[in-house]
Amino acid sequence: MARVAVDDERAFAELVRRFQGRVTNLISRVLNDRECADDLAQEVFVRVFVHRRNYRHGAKLSTWVFTIAANLAKNEIRRRVRRRNWFSLDALQELLSDSAIQLADPTEGREVTLEREQLQGAVGRAIATVPEKYRLALVLRDIEGLAYEEIATVLGIPGGTVRSRINRARSMLKRKLQPLLGRAGTS
Amino acid sequence: MICVQARRLFGACWDDEITQAERESLEAHFAACASCREEYDAYSRALELLTTLPRVEPAPDLVERALARSRRTAPAPDRVGARAVPWVPVTATAALVAVAFTLVSPWLMTRNSPIALRPGITQAPVAQPELRQPSDLAGAPSKTAVPGARGASLSRPGVAADPLAAVPDSLFDHSEDVEFVLDPMTLHRGRPANVRVGGSVQGQQATITF
Repeated sequence: MARVAVDDERAFAELVRRFQGRVTNLISRVLNDRECADDLAQEVFVRVFVHRRNYRHGAKLSTWVFTIAANLAKNEIRRRVRRRNWFSLDALQELLSDSAIQLADPTEGREVTLEREQLQGAVGRAIATVPEKYRLALVLRDIEGLAYEEIATVLGIPGGTVRSRINRARSMLKRKLQPLLGRAGTS
Repeated sequence: MICVQARRLFGACWDDEITQAERESLEAHFAACASCREEYDAYSRALELLTTLPRVEPAPDLVERALARSRRTAPAPDRVGARAVPWVPVTATAALVAVAFTLVSPWLMTRNSPIALRPGITQAPVAQPELRQPSDLAGAPSKTAVPGARGASLSRPGVAADPLAAVPDSLFDHSEDVEFVLDPMTLHRGRPANVRVGGSVQGQQATITF
């Protein structure tokens, strides 16, 4: 990062290569939108470059990059909520409610050939229906594998709050995935 | 252990952050409570599903696009910035200088002043120039002219008549060797009035305003 701060382009390219997979995966899982994830991942690295001199030496680089990614993902979720709210207030209420949106039938309206892909798609959608503040903590912990302390830094909240949010998100996810758990067990 | 306590430990158990005693207690509860056992199984399978999700691969040209956009973007200003000016030492130094100047300035002023000599210090006698005669004004050098004086310093060898020698002595600056002695007198506000001082001296009272 010190080399990036002094405009070393090769160092910056190396940084992008190192984190692009995790950043794209994080955003994609939080938004459940692959195309948008690519654009936002690019935006994450542009912001890393723009704010490279504000990086505090000694801080964990991955935590800093994830913080930027999480903030951009949150902004995108809120932008979508506002856009949806413009057309339908009910839609906003549904989105913010952890139980209003039921998991859609994974086979409904989609032509998928493998049951595994159906299951993965359904899980992705289930994650996307978890309210934002729980969803980010859940993805950072159970998909990206960050420690609780790192998640607290990324989200800017106390460690205890991180734990309670993750527990709550896991319970929500279990409820949403309940219809699929039998299939998952047999497949 | 009751069911509520057992279910509170689900998260820590999944993260493997419970003590051995807690784990044994939880296992004992599961053996006795089928409902909690099923709940934990469902909880575990749901979280296992998350781990089976494939990694989303980044776009192949992400590095190039990020580099291209970064080149066009100016860096944000450094929020840390330069180190702030240490105002306390600067202020303290300025205060010290001010105090020192206040203490020294009276001494400097008395040293430069020709009229107020400090006690114990004698002033070298200054030769008072005699009144010039009309012949002096015609160009003859003054008898009291001292080497290094203004007129002499400007004179050049071979030049018979110094042009400055013709200038009346009163036009030169004598501030350094003229004493101003204020006689005690009474100043009254109001219109000028004739005042008789002593027996024969008569003058007009003046009000001086600075």
